[in-house]
Amino acid sequence: MKILHAFWLPNSTDAFVQDGNFCLWVETTEISNKSPLRSRHPRQLPAMELNSLIQELGIVGDPKFTGEVTLSLPSVQQGPLPCPELTPFLETDFQEQWEFRDWKVDCWKLDGQPIASLNELHFQTQFQNQDLLSGADFLFWHWFAQSLKAVLFKDSYVPALRLKKVAKQKAHELYAGWDFATEAYESLIREAILRMPPSAAPGYDAESLLPHCAEVLLHSSIIQTNLTQALAKKIDGSLVDAAFNIGMTGVWHKTADVKLYRSWLDWVNKLSGRQSALGFQLAFQLHEAGELELDKWCLEFKVLARHDPSLSVALEDYWEMPNRARQALQQSFGNDFEQHLLLQLGQAARIYPALWEGLETDQPIGLSLSLEDAFGFLNETAWVLEDAGFRIIVPAWWTPQGRRRAKLKMRSSGKTAKTIAGSSKTGLSLENLLQYQYELTLGDEPVSPAEWESLVNAKTPIVQFRGQWMALDRDKMREMLAFWKAQGEQGETLDMLELLRRNAGETELFEIDAKDALAEMLAKLHDHRQITPISDPPRLNATLREYQKRGVAWLEFMEQLGLNGCLADDMGLGKTIQVIAQVVREKELGFNDQPNLLIAPTSVIGNWRKEVERFAPHLSTHIHHGGERAADKPAFAEACRDCDVVITSYALARRDAKLLEGVKWRRVVLDEAQNIKNPLAAQTKAILQIKSAHRLALTGTPVENRLLDLWSIFNFLNPGYLGKQAQFRKNYELPIQRENNVGKSTLLRKLVEPFILRRVKTDPAIIQDLPDKVDNRQYCNLSKEQASLYEAVVRDVEQQLAASEGIQRQGLMLSTLMKLKQICNHPAQFLQDGGPFTAERSHKLERLSDMLTDVLDEGESALVFTQFTDIGESLERHLKSTLQCQTYYLHGGTPRNKREQMITRFQDTESPPAVFILSLKAGGVGITLTRANHVFHFDRWWNPAVEDQATDRAFRIGQTRNVFVHKFITLGTLEERIDAMIEEKRKVAGAIVGSDESWLAKLDNDAFKQLIALNRQALLD
Amino acid sequence: MKTVRTWWGKKYIEALEGFIDTGRLSRGKSYANENRIKKWAMEGNLITAQIRGNTNPYYGVYKEPTYKTTIQLKAIAPSDWKKVIQQLGSQAAFVSRLLLNEVPDNIEDPFEELGLHLLPRNMKDLQTQCSCPDYANPCKHVAGLDYFLAAKLDQDPFLLFELRGLPRSELSKQLQETPLGRVLSQALNVEELPLIVSESYFTRPQAKVYSTHLPPEEFWRGNKRLPEQTEPASPPAVAALSIKKGGDFPEFWKRDNSFIEAMELFYEAARKKGKAW
Repeated sequence: MKILHAFWLPNSTDAFVQDGNFCLWVETTEISNKSPLRSRHPRQLPAMELNSLIQELGIVGDPKFTGEVTLSLPSVQQGPLPCPELTPFLETDFQEQWEFRDWKVDCWKLDGQPIASLNELHFQTQFQNQDLLSGADFLFWHWFAQSLKAVLFKDSYVPALRLKKVAKQKAHELYAGWDFATEAYESLIREAILRMPPSAAPGYDAESLLPHCAEVLLHSSIIQTNLTQALAKKIDGSLVDAAFNIGMTGVWHKTADVKLYRSWLDWVNKLSGRQSALGFQLAFQLHEAGELELDKWCLEFKVLARHDPSLSVALEDYWEMPNRARQALQQSFGNDFEQHLLLQLGQAARIYPALWEGLETDQPIGLSLSLEDAFGFLNETAWVLEDAGFRIIVPAWWTPQGRRRAKLKMRSSGKTAKTIAGSSKTGLSLENLLQYQYELTLGDEPVSPAEWESLVNAKTPIVQFRGQWMALDRDKMREMLAFWKAQGEQGETLDMLELLRRNAGETELFEIDAKDALAEMLAKLHDHRQITPISDPPRLNATLREYQKRGVAWLEFMEQLGLNGCLADDMGLGKTIQVIAQVVREKELGFNDQPNLLIAPTSVIGNWRKEVERFAPHLSTHIHHGGERAADKPAFAEACRDCDVVITSYALARRDAKLLEGVKWRRVVLDEAQNIKNPLAAQTKAILQIKSAHRLALTGTPVENRLLDLWSIFNFLNPGYLGKQAQFRKNYELPIQRENNVGKSTLLRKLVEPFILRRVKTDPAIIQDLPDKVDNRQYCNLSKEQASLYEAVVRDVEQQLAASEGIQRQGLMLSTLMKLKQICNHPAQFLQDGGPFTAERSHKLERLSDMLTDVLDEGESALVFTQFTDIGESLERHLKSTLQCQTYYLHGGTPRNKREQMITRFQDTESPPAVFILSLKAGGVGITLTRANHVFHFDRWWNPAVEDQATDRAFRIGQTRNVFVHKFITLGTLEERIDAMIEEKRKVAGAIVGSDESWLAKLDNDAFKQLIALNRQALLD
Repeated sequence: MKTVRTWWGKKYIEALEGFIDTGRLSRGKSYANENRIKKWAMEGNLITAQIRGNTNPYYGVYKEPTYKTTIQLKAIAPSDWKKVIQQLGSQAAFVSRLLLNEVPDNIEDPFEELGLHLLPRNMKDLQTQCSCPDYANPCKHVAGLDYFLAAKLDQDPFLLFELRGLPRSELSKQLQETPLGRVLSQALNVEELPLIVSESYFTRPQAKVYSTHLPPEEFWRGNKRLPEQTEPASPPAVAALSIKKGGDFPEFWKRDNSFIEAMELFYEAARKKGKAW
């Protein structure tokens, strides 16, 4: 694994001009044997490899700039400490004592296009490269450089002068250059100072380093500009010319023209001048002209009290007031009001010279403007004055809220619209909605094509239309007219997907008629809250929560429209039960002639079966898995016949593709649908071949943020909707990920939004529906290896049990319980042979990893409890390296101060989300870990009180969110029975059991055998 | 928002062209530089200069001569000035611009209302003398001095008031006696900004020693998370907004074309290369 680092390195010089560069270096897991020198960083990518890596990533530059830089890094006796991104891949201990030491590191200097290069590298490391990760320092610089670029795009720099004292002389030299001059820049620097990690510029202070870096980047960016000859002429000989052409490379004037400098200084101070110290704010209100006098616009001067903006007076009224009233107002507007007022007017007039006309009197009240001037004011001047601190009041029709917009109104053609209203019980049917007609409208009023044309041809961009002023976008209107003409009278035919695509992408042009049935349908698609929830299905063995009822209704609604959706509720909100409820409903309605096919990761198959049994025992389920599964089409068809749900794994969906293709399914459901994220995988291709009336994807990860996953899931749900993969990459993936194109990401979000139902647990409406603590059981199966170990232990103990008595018998029973629990956790824990601690050997571990991935993806943290100290360590190592996240492990042997440190670090909301592993005994009491809102019980304890106490580490005062408790239960084993017993205990009020397992040893032999016996039926493989 | 710079020097020359032959006036252009004008002084409305002439055997001048040249503008009578200033003082536009050290381009209006004018209008407004042998008046030396004066007016148009008999200090004093002027005067008694001498061209980065008491993670990651979203780079709604706040033709911009327009074009050209930053 490699980590890409970046830091800003100022040139080491005392010269007047000191610039700097970004340096890149790469930290690796491997000790580089090419660095025999002790002073060289041992885990760095040496120059040659660094050069080829950077060039492979598409960075153009001269490798000869690569050189050794000395960095002061956190170190211990043995060497430099790895950065946190690397620690999951290395065996390192938690370090309390460390110091800074110098290390020589080979660095690639970014020259030429630093901002663009950082962006490209970011794109490559975040989205394209598996074994190169970005360090936090690199991510910081990427963020800073891109934000700075946004600031530069807003023209926030101005030509500048620097006065340099010439040594031992009275004279000064003058340098030309650029300065930042906006609040946006200042606030970026302020934000960045708070966020810059020391590693981003080892040894430097952020407060001075960041402006240094920003200023150097400003110069290196502006220097790229191509000046046309015409433009060069327009600035010839001026300060702008000198700033651009000489800049930092040399002196502009050997002997400074102090007057010139002073006039510049004056000017630049004026640009940043704020007037908040005054007691009033000068306002300009534009009043529109009447219908008959189109050129009589009026700009009125007004004054607002700063402490009370509702107190506003037009100057026209002010001058007319009797002295006493004026004096009263002056108190509200602050000292020397009239004097400041005139100065403010003068300053505004310097920005907007037309104002001078209104000042040719001793009592200025405003001025009149022509239509053209008024448009200029609205379009540009108002912004400038507002930015300079003046208040601008414009007519409502000019504001975004009040603007009347030109739209092509769409409605389904008249005849079919009628049938919709009164027909089928769902009120909608797809075929009816295909024919559309259009109408030209302005601010909701229909406009005839002739009238439209005359507006398009108007000479001014603001016009009087039916007695009201409005702004026109004539290019857009021309386009609409052309479209309308092309459609003619008969309108247009679109299918559902095309309609949705238009509705997402061309809202600027089209609008659905609010009175049309289409509008209601689209409203429901875009806002699931408008869907009426179903009522509890009578045969469902559970009470659905309100949002779950709505979820089922949504599913039904989508499928009636012929659309396939993705149910993406947060983990813990119960996606499984919503799917089961829908199947139950369909069976009630008699739609059960074809079975549902559910494809899920092996580790959750057991859970699905268990949940179906629990909530809908009347449904018949078939699990297609294991060595004894149906091997040919007839056998498979036979097994599926009369089944409601057939469950299989992703792996078998590929291997037994022929069998699955041979059946006609009512619905294919993909659980953890991100499993088909690779469109080229045989598994994905096989799944796409399965024919069914409906398709449904379930996922708990926020798929919207992973574009390839998203495309792949949509390619399954609604093939073609997002285009072919190459098109999708070109149209969305690259613009969004590489160019940070917000327009594209908004469009994509609008496109997919109707298809994804994602309720998050932080949604207030959901919180209302949920108890503070949500208990979930996670059922998983034993792996083959685990099952055979389990059986061996059971057989062994059965023989021994007969021969032992008393204390010995009790000891045997207790140790057996221990061994079996270990096996359920992981074979390696039981065997203690140092074998691999991998997810393949334990579904439980696999499931834990998967669920924690979802938790971390949502930016949340989790606690994992186990009663075994020895597995805690393995768990930490495994989770750290598979999830690449921060992990902590607290057990009985953890020293007190380290324990405190871990807790503080975990609780710090600014630290990245993390997984905290605790031994049930050490972590069960006393501490507060409310950062976590998920609690996992990896293995079970006999006493619910102990588990509850552990859970309460997260569910304490200070916890503001719902806490989700996930309890793992291995099917068919003693864990399942322990769980049942705990449930029993809970029901028997006051039933107190000891906090340990000793009471279990009092069971008689048969009862004990029953407790530990393996139920082979629950096995998968 | 577009304006043009008012070049008072140009206005002055144009005013002279109204009553002096253009050809003759323009012959003086080559005299209007420091090389020719050895010395000059201004005392009230009188300007005197020593101008280097040419040897001219035709007039019997064999050694390079130095001529004494004077221009005197007709002073406006103090009583008239009073009236003018009363006129000026009744308009906020004039008062605030004059007190902001700008000469409004319609400054002639109040003069005209009183039958006066600020710029010279005929030979009576302008008395010139030169010690050169040329009969023609104005001779090229006078014309040269006029051009020289025009250049000075570009730098400081208030000279015109002085040349018409009202020193700047007096102008400001009298203005302040009008009701509007009084209101403004206090606010404008701002001190001149001190010069800022830079130690370095770019902000000088300072060294800092970080504590080793923090966990090493903090060295690497800092203690505040980055925002989830990065602001995308998009052009502004109004181009060149920040410089527009300073008005067009700032003092340091010595060119005739609009500073705002030039900067708008410059910014646009810079943004075009944004991909290469």
